[in-house]
Amino acid sequence: MQTRWDVGEPERPTINEETEQLKSDLLTLNMGPQHPATHGVLRIEIWTDSEIVAHAIPHLGYLHRCMEKHAENLDFRGVIPFVDRLDYLASMNMEWTYVAAIEKMLGTEVPRRGELLRIMTAELQRIASHLMAFGTYALDLGAFTPFLYAFEEREKILRLFEEVSGARLLYNYIWIGGVWNDWTDEQLERVSQFCDTMEIEAKKYHELVSMNKIFVQRTANVGVFTLDDCFSYGASGPVLRGSGLKWDLRKVAPYSLYPEFDFDIPVGEGEVGVVGDCWNRYYVRMKEVVESIKIIRQVLNKLEAGPVMGKVPKVIKLPKGEVYMRHECPRGELAFHLVSEGDSKKPYRLKVKSPCFTHVSMLPHVAPGQMIADFVATVGSIDIVLGEVDR
Amino acid sequence: MLNVDLNKLAEHLNNQIPGANATVHFPEDIKKCDPSLTVEASKIFQVVQFLKSHPETPFNSLHVISGVDYVEWMEVAYVLTHYSLENPRQMILKVKLTDRVNPVLDSIVKVYAAANFQEREVFDMFGIRFNNHPDLRRILCPDDWKGWPLRKDYVAQKDYNGMAVYPDGKMNFEDREFIIRQDMIKKAQEAKAH
Amino acid sequence: MSTAVHQTSSVKDYFKGLFNGVTTTFKGMWITFKYVWAVKPVSIEYPEVREVLPERARMRLFNDAQNCISCTQCAMACPVDCIYITSEKLPENAEIKKTSNGQAIRLKLTQFTIDTALCCYCGLCTTVCPTECLTHSHDYEFSQYTIDAMKYDYLAPDVRAWRDRIVKV
Repeated sequence: MQTRWDVGEPERPTINEETEQLKSDLLTLNMGPQHPATHGVLRIEIWTDSEIVAHAIPHLGYLHRCMEKHAENLDFRGVIPFVDRLDYLASMNMEWTYVAAIEKMLGTEVPRRGELLRIMTAELQRIASHLMAFGTYALDLGAFTPFLYAFEEREKILRLFEEVSGARLLYNYIWIGGVWNDWTDEQLERVSQFCDTMEIEAKKYHELVSMNKIFVQRTANVGVFTLDDCFSYGASGPVLRGSGLKWDLRKVAPYSLYPEFDFDIPVGEGEVGVVGDCWNRYYVRMKEVVESIKIIRQVLNKLEAGPVMGKVPKVIKLPKGEVYMRHECPRGELAFHLVSEGDSKKPYRLKVKSPCFTHVSMLPHVAPGQMIADFVATVGSIDIVLGEVDR
Repeated sequence: MLNVDLNKLAEHLNNQIPGANATVHFPEDIKKCDPSLTVEASKIFQVVQFLKSHPETPFNSLHVISGVDYVEWMEVAYVLTHYSLENPRQMILKVKLTDRVNPVLDSIVKVYAAANFQEREVFDMFGIRFNNHPDLRRILCPDDWKGWPLRKDYVAQKDYNGMAVYPDGKMNFEDREFIIRQDMIKKAQEAKAH
Repeated sequence: MSTAVHQTSSVKDYFKGLFNGVTTTFKGMWITFKYVWAVKPVSIEYPEVREVLPERARMRLFNDAQNCISCTQCAMACPVDCIYITSEKLPENAEIKKTSNGQAIRLKLTQFTIDTALCCYCGLCTTVCPTECLTHSHDYEFSQYTIDAMKYDYLAPDVRAWRDRIVKV
């Protein structure tokens, strides 16, 4: 991190008096729903004043699959495949959060090996998700090669997941009470090998993209979220950490076995540009990959033979009450607000607090005064997955 | 829930805001379920404003607004969070709405910007209107959709802009009386064999 | 804003930026160039070369109707309700057959159909099956011209042949 480009405080070009007169010339531009830079089916209505965005209105709901309504009509185990489909790039984390909510209400004890395997899969999934974020973000900004490199590594993780759970994206692997299948020693050995190669690859990505002048020009000082913005909008995850707050649920409100592990929480430090801009958000993700590798190595050392599934009743019935379970997912804090009426096989209400939904609501705040190309960079930097936004 | 003494907070709220009528609900098993604080629906704006600038236990962020339909009444749960590394806090604040025909709440967008989209979602799913909301439109469903999907008495509309909502060909309503079209399968398998 | 970046204050900064741009781009190019000879290709040429799927891979469902005891547990577990089972009582003096793992078949299976177009491949149905007759095969190429053709009747006479032909486990 010796390289520094001091560029000073960002200046937001505002619509001045001259352009005020030309307000009738505001052009409405639809970005999406099938725009490659929107990462899915998000439509953003942009009012542009020549090249400058005056106003942006996100239109959601193109991928709305009524997941919350479906969940009310399914038994607790049957919801897991639906939860997978929320954030399809980080299904393991989604499953784990939902399952943790059920387990808290049920009072289930998960065996140690099962819990450790959960941590390992969640961290592997975090790496896979961040690799995807890295690749598509570079793709948004016009660089195609990093995408292929990221996919090469991501493929190794998906292959491992496929071997252990049977599916590549929508795993249904983390079950109430533990995990479905145990990992063999050979697979764990491959995880260890993956950690070694991933560390080298991460350095390569930094050389290729992070410090590239063109990339820095496109992302540094662009789309700045101040900490106050983040608080007011309830941002979390890399967006919040990119803005400089060392907030990670794994440390702040530790769950599972995370207190046993030794890892850092990377925050945006403004090596390039100002804290809270696109570059810092991106860089926090890349540093998190390294931290996840640290955690996985520790898991591999701690793993001992044992059962992976705890004792769970065949028909799950939860007590009357509600629970708000939140976990740190690759995109931010995911939470399930689960309401149970007692003596029922189905959730009475399952509300998903999706981090991307929150982050999309920040776009209209940051858009005014940006160039259109910068706006694309901003949308890419918050790493949205529309499956989770629209649910 | 997290680092919040709800009883003390409720007492404080009742002293500060007349008519807030804050009551704490503790579940039977505190380890399994989360407690919550219920306040009067008409005072939600003052309560949230007070909580944001509370001298001892402020909450600087709103995470989610979630509605629950209990048929006799409706509940709106606000999950408030305090982003602070030393003192992370979180609580569930609830209001009860007994009017199902025309439920109305005060919007808290002026306090937390996050409420903008969240309130739109609650409006979309439960039909709860928010006073003083800058842009109260449906967010996930189409603008001209009828009914409030997450209410328990919701019946989906039959047709939407001339399109059937549940086309018979795509839905299998009665599992047991399902008739398999043997000829289609045979044709397909023959085609595959060739 | 990127506009601020362009406002370089001095000539020195300008050349520094220029130098940075050239070196970092060259570094990136060099990494990519190494792929010409130093890295083996990772992609495979489907359909000529096919990947061997892992043992647990969850592809198209297959029901071995001879071992099915019509318990309907799979249909209950299915979150999308895509399994259709009908059965009727055996006549009184009928011989009671046994499945391969020794369970008695007390009902006559008259329909076992899976709508593969609805199936979400979650694997919940295979885990509850007591006789392990419902399994995921390794067949992933089953696109059809009509959506009705995705409904598979596992009592059809040629189903066994279909499995033997496609699933080489």
